[in-house]
Amino acid sequence: MRYQKFLAPLVFGLGVVTAGVATAQTLTIGVRGGPESMDPHFSALGSHAEAAKHIFDTLVWSGDDLQIEPGLAVSWTSVDEDTWEFKLREGVKFHDGSDFDAEDVKFSIERIPVVTGPTTTAIYVRRVESVDIIDPYTLHINTDGQAATLPNDFIRLFIVSSDAAADYSTLETSAEGFNSGVATIGTGPYKYTSWEPKGDLVLDRNSDYWRGEGAWETVIRREIPNDSSRLAALKAGQVDLINYVSSVDYLALERDANIDAVKGDSVYIMNLQLDQREDTPLVRAIDGSDLAENPFRDLRVRQAVDHAIDRQTMVDIVLEGLGRPANQMMPAGFFGSSENIPMPEYSPTKARELLADAGYPDGFEVDLYCTADRLPGDGAICQGLGQMLTQVGIKTNVNAISKTVYFPAQARLEYSMFLNGWGTLTGEASYTLGGLAHSNDPEVNLGAYNRIEYENDDVDMLLQTGATMMDEAERRATYEEAMEKVMADKAYISVVQLQTVWGAKAGMFEFNPRLDEDTLAFFIRPAP
Amino acid sequence: MLGFIIQRFLQAVGVMAVMSVIVFCGVYAIGNPIDIVIPPEATQEIREEVIRRLGLDLPLYKQYFIFMGNLLQGDLGRSFIYNVPVLELIGGRMPATLELVLISVISATVLGVSLGIYAGYRPDSWISKTIMAVSVLGFSVPSFWVGLILILFFAVKLGWLPAGGRGDTLEIWGVAWSFPTLNGLSHIVLPALNLALFKLAMMIRLARAGTREIMLTDTIKFARAAGLSEGTILRRHLLKLISIPIITVFGLELGSTLAFAVVTETIFSWPGVGKLIIDSIAVLDRPVMVAYLILVAFLFVTINFVIDLVFALIDPRVRAGAVQ
Repeated sequence: MRYQKFLAPLVFGLGVVTAGVATAQTLTIGVRGGPESMDPHFSALGSHAEAAKHIFDTLVWSGDDLQIEPGLAVSWTSVDEDTWEFKLREGVKFHDGSDFDAEDVKFSIERIPVVTGPTTTAIYVRRVESVDIIDPYTLHINTDGQAATLPNDFIRLFIVSSDAAADYSTLETSAEGFNSGVATIGTGPYKYTSWEPKGDLVLDRNSDYWRGEGAWETVIRREIPNDSSRLAALKAGQVDLINYVSSVDYLALERDANIDAVKGDSVYIMNLQLDQREDTPLVRAIDGSDLAENPFRDLRVRQAVDHAIDRQTMVDIVLEGLGRPANQMMPAGFFGSSENIPMPEYSPTKARELLADAGYPDGFEVDLYCTADRLPGDGAICQGLGQMLTQVGIKTNVNAISKTVYFPAQARLEYSMFLNGWGTLTGEASYTLGGLAHSNDPEVNLGAYNRIEYENDDVDMLLQTGATMMDEAERRATYEEAMEKVMADKAYISVVQLQTVWGAKAGMFEFNPRLDEDTLAFFIRPAP
Repeated sequence: MLGFIIQRFLQAVGVMAVMSVIVFCGVYAIGNPIDIVIPPEATQEIREEVIRRLGLDLPLYKQYFIFMGNLLQGDLGRSFIYNVPVLELIGGRMPATLELVLISVISATVLGVSLGIYAGYRPDSWISKTIMAVSVLGFSVPSFWVGLILILFFAVKLGWLPAGGRGDTLEIWGVAWSFPTLNGLSHIVLPALNLALFKLAMMIRLARAGTREIMLTDTIKFARAAGLSEGTILRRHLLKLISIPIITVFGLELGSTLAFAVVTETIFSWPGVGKLIIDSIAVLDRPVMVAYLILVAFLFVTINFVIDLVFALIDPRVRAGAVQ
């Protein structure tokens, strides 16, 4: 029996929002990227989800360190090998006053594959076969086979109102309905007021939010993609807080009394990837002639590359201190990160010895590729690697290029050595190792991002069994073992974990940096 | 005159047809948007579904004909990234670019021609020498650097003007404009100044060169002999004679500034089409890129067409030449 209470529809004032002047009740955030649509199911891009989190809630919440916590679902248990039972939070209301229940969840899940754009959100529900409503606050999610990580998939499963979005759930109508605000009804901390693509997203406080009331009456998220302009807007007082301060500006901010710089670990780790194919395109002998075989297939050469990298210098000099040396493809403490992996030793002597043992006393020549415009410092890290490798005899030609060119070429397997940033956004290893370390096998849906043809049968076995284990401790041990094996093979060499910086008006705010780099107004509090 | 117009018009149509092919093939040759936009967890089925949905599985010529068919019906397609019609996306951002560009190009032209004529009329005064020195600066300093310095000085240090954005807007005929509000106008000042510098320098030099040349001709001698005042000579005779190159440059500059105000718009976070196109290139949003380039080609063809007509009106020799 559903019981609905209708409140008077809310009337928004249509006054022009004054720009710039921050009152105690308005928070203006300068963000590098904004949403691509007001439909939360349209894009899987981080900046899109970040904006959506203000208006909509997710079933499962991912906390500051990406640990999973109850969101709109209060608990989840696996009923049998291909069914999960989700219990929903009771008494939650949408912005239009209607009640949230299982109907809305089912509607949201089924809507996703229909309305998603090219940066597809279908990934969040890719394991879902069907949804059964048991009662208004209980759902059974039937999966295709065992899906141990289903709750992790749901951290970006935004719940929209099945009533408000009913007529706006086809590809043609969704943008219109959500961008105009008619369908933009969520349960989140803020209500939608207005949005200009690539411009301002204006939000109003939701006083009935189930987590409690937010600190700000109005939140304006202003999109300012250019790093220098964003910082200038903060310094000129037009915005209160900005994300993604560049490492160069960070040093200057340290000395600026009017601006606080808040540093936080990022989920992104830069990995050097060495092609394992027998015939690799961009490796040559020093004199330019062809080599008999791909040197990266020899473990000693890969170890030499590893020993040639001075991670501490990379962090201190290249990244201006904004990073940490990395020994594996995920930050410490993630599900599947191993504590048994040592930090690789920097030793040019060892590197040269290993190269000589492998039959390359004079070294060889390789082209290194990376992005120059994707993550903070990616191009600079690349340059640093080029110099370090050249010092031990591997003559490295650095190509730091636009991601628009890099990614398609990487997908076509055109590179022999490339530096790639990877963020474990789900906080667990099946995402990272399943994508990168399993041999590329569309049959089992693993290894889609293994662009170096890395293949280790033990690792493949571990990843396949790990994916079906429902016991958490066993699964964790399995993934840790897989991670240890992958890192020992040195085809993937983790170099640094990045850090990100927020800038804010001095002494005004309190907030914890999130690992996924999201800037969420609800969790930003005025300083006491 | 009518023959002249028809001839020019047919040329314009030909140019547009060729441009559409070049733009379409060019944009479709530079990489696959799928590799950039698909998230890492996507399965093979999901990938194929996306490719099919965007129509990227069809051969190039088929994609082109579908595109042209839609174009002739006035439909430029939907953006991959925003899932809204491209025309709506570009149209919604055009007013911002339009007001910025018009204000900067027109003020640069009026000021530049006045200063240039003065510098040409009194080439030896110290004021003229100063004007010319400044114009060299305007030419040679990169605009992104000037933009950042303007922000640093007027917004961050002095706090007189905002560092970016559009400020308050007023709706006129359903379109939001910044210039009618004081706050909006204060937001326009810096980007418009940044955009105008290069054009100002060019207009000064053009006007000066023209003036120096014309001042030595018989026309001016006879006008002086006829007892006309210097002011009248400058306004009625000189201005008309130096206007042909200035109008040409004005038209081309207007077009190229409208199309490529990218740097200024990015630095000042001005929400115009320049920023849109740069963002679209970064994610290979093909429909937006193609539509935008086609529109730019159309803009230039139209501007050139109009310039030719203006010449014909100003200079009888052009009209006569076309008829023969």
